[in-house]
Amino acid sequence: MIYLDYSATTPVSYDVLDTITKVTKEYIGNANSIHSLGVKSKNLLDSATEQIAHIFNVSPGELIYTSGATESNNMALIGAALANRKKGNHIIVSKLEHPSIYHICDYLQSLGFEISYVKNDREGLIDFDDLKRLVKENTILVSICAVNSEVGVRQPLKMIRQIIKKENFGTIFHSDMTQAIGKIPVNLHDVDLASMSGHKIYGPKGIGLLYKNSNVNLVPIIHGSTKENNLRPGTPPLPLIASFSKAIRLANNDLEKREHFINLLNEKIVKHMQKYPHILINKTKYSIPHILNISLMDVMSETFIHAMEKKEVYLSTNTACASGELSTSVMAIYNDLARAKHTIRISLSHLSTTDEINKFLTYFDEEYAKLANLK
Amino acid sequence: MQKLIIIKYGELTTKKDNIGFFLQTLKQNIAAILSNLPVEIKQDAGRMFIYTDEGYLELVKEKLAKVFGIHEIIEGYVDNDFTIEQIKANALALMQARSFQTFKIETKRSNKNYPLESMAINRAVGSFILKNIPNLKVDVHHPDLLFNIEIRHHEVLYYGEKIAGLGGYPVGTLGKGLLMLSGGIDSPVAGFMAIKRGIKLEAIYFESSPHTSEQAKNKVKSLARILALYNATVKLHVINFTTIQETILKNIPHEYLITIMRRMMYRISEAIAQKNKCQIIVNGESIGQVASQTLTSMSCINEVVKIPVIRPLACFDKLEIITLAKKIGSYETSILPFEDCCTIFVPTHPVINPQSKKCIEYEKLIPYADLINEAITTEEVIYLDSEKDNLEYRDIL
Repeated sequence: MIYLDYSATTPVSYDVLDTITKVTKEYIGNANSIHSLGVKSKNLLDSATEQIAHIFNVSPGELIYTSGATESNNMALIGAALANRKKGNHIIVSKLEHPSIYHICDYLQSLGFEISYVKNDREGLIDFDDLKRLVKENTILVSICAVNSEVGVRQPLKMIRQIIKKENFGTIFHSDMTQAIGKIPVNLHDVDLASMSGHKIYGPKGIGLLYKNSNVNLVPIIHGSTKENNLRPGTPPLPLIASFSKAIRLANNDLEKREHFINLLNEKIVKHMQKYPHILINKTKYSIPHILNISLMDVMSETFIHAMEKKEVYLSTNTACASGELSTSVMAIYNDLARAKHTIRISLSHLSTTDEINKFLTYFDEEYAKLANLK
Repeated sequence: MQKLIIIKYGELTTKKDNIGFFLQTLKQNIAAILSNLPVEIKQDAGRMFIYTDEGYLELVKEKLAKVFGIHEIIEGYVDNDFTIEQIKANALALMQARSFQTFKIETKRSNKNYPLESMAINRAVGSFILKNIPNLKVDVHHPDLLFNIEIRHHEVLYYGEKIAGLGGYPVGTLGKGLLMLSGGIDSPVAGFMAIKRGIKLEAIYFESSPHTSEQAKNKVKSLARILALYNATVKLHVINFTTIQETILKNIPHEYLITIMRRMMYRISEAIAQKNKCQIIVNGESIGQVASQTLTSMSCINEVVKIPVIRPLACFDKLEIITLAKKIGSYETSILPFEDCCTIFVPTHPVINPQSKKCIEYEKLIPYADLINEAITTEEVIYLDSEKDNLEYRDIL
């Protein structure tokens, strides 16, 4: 099997899996119970949270566990919008977001919020002048992802924050960091709110978190308890939390070394694809090497995915959460409908091997030749 | 221009022969607290300079605000261009980013070979600023912005506002003490004040399970961790006090419960302090606050030990202590509702003026020397880091 869909999800690392098993077996107490089994679980929970807080240089109270990035995005956007209704009703998002952001925005629009979409340039970079123009007195929230999930464009969050805060200091800045964590260094102090997910960094599915700067207030979207963390009540899923914490620690090891290796693989593929006249490479100078997007202009992307799957090569058309639709990100960057409809996303990992990439390229040539000939 | 943080030393500069030791300790303490950040620390006789990536600047300042021995934390800029034109341009760029109505330029020249004298530089830069930023005035007595330029041998420094540091002495420069740490509001504050004077603290906690819960112990660990922010690490001695407390409860007249209990705690603390080379005991007693803190009570309790007992809060009132606790960040933890061994078994009418004669008489009713000995030999030692120590979870996390 050649797995090249690491941006959709990653296999759980064995180290992380050990934690899930061990904690499930040995920490049976509810972290909210007052007896020693509960306290034992609570201690582990606190340590897991403190480890994450330490890695990101924030305080433990600023981390809220969720079921994943989609929930974090909901909690952040809906929570911040409702909490700041008196200050305004204007929200800005980029055109390069994960679909969940757009679905939340549709919902917020139905509640009377006004949504603006900030432009980006041909490199995928947020148009600073447009952003500056859009931030107004009634702008309560801006959401811009750290790394786009389809083309891998990385945004300069610090600069974006400075622009937003200069125009309106009270505007809250949220960033979906799901595709950035474990791939590139991030600084949570660049934002007020940030979403992350466990299963993109070799952790389990079903766990994510929201970073919430202590100065930001959110209206809870889930109700159920008066315990300390009233934003996300419920029994903390300790095996998921502990293993998530470990996954974050492991993912932040050797970031640079890994990125360097992945870049070599990426360049190899790009070089290979450049020989085909009908393949367009959707890569800008701000794309991270982990995500490589190409458009096969003379082949249906879904057909191609299925053809490759027969060879046990796993790719995707665009972000898994929007399968079957056109790539909104490619559309936003290149403004070319055909190009956006024919995308293939190859996502790489430090687990990928040169051998895998060589085989992938051989299979690619075979299948591409077959399918392109049909036309 | 590159941004940097300049640290000015406070009280420790009054030291003479051993100033090197104070500065070395301060540098070590700063390096330790910034160990997980990308920083470079340089030092000269009068100041320390910290270079870091701009994104970490706020965090570094926040961490430095918790280091004793620092008088002022200053965010400044450094440049290698000595020309007066560049100095004027730099000053203008930095001052344009601020809002103020009156200002004063103050130049210092440690590089005496520089062709212009300090006053001349003040005038040159001042008039350049007045020309280029409209509606400003110079005020040499009470300026809104005091802008500093320092001409050094290899670089020029620029800075404006200063943030006050914590002051005090670098932790570890004045020996070691043992803090009696309960779960209350006072003892962490007392500890903080002792640390401020350069004392490295260990802490002792009396546990009375099952009367006190594990949550109470965790609370004390959290408090120790808060102190560890200032103290690097805290070695916490947990004493199993249950047998002693139950024996006292069963055998001693109830109005003397607290007095005798405190005498036992003092004895144990002295033994632990001696064993760990702590020269003093520190506690959070405040005169008159409770029955065991009247002057008679304090003297009757104190007489069982020879080691000096320092009570930094002796003359503070409760509101002053609470204000400090909030400043230190221990208040929220201290008020968590878990019983500690001083709050269980409180008699309705504790004696306010205990007599030591009676104490000695009552203590004969219990084999306290053996009980104390057992408590000391069964102590549990926990090392607490400001960043929670995850050693126990090494394989899990």
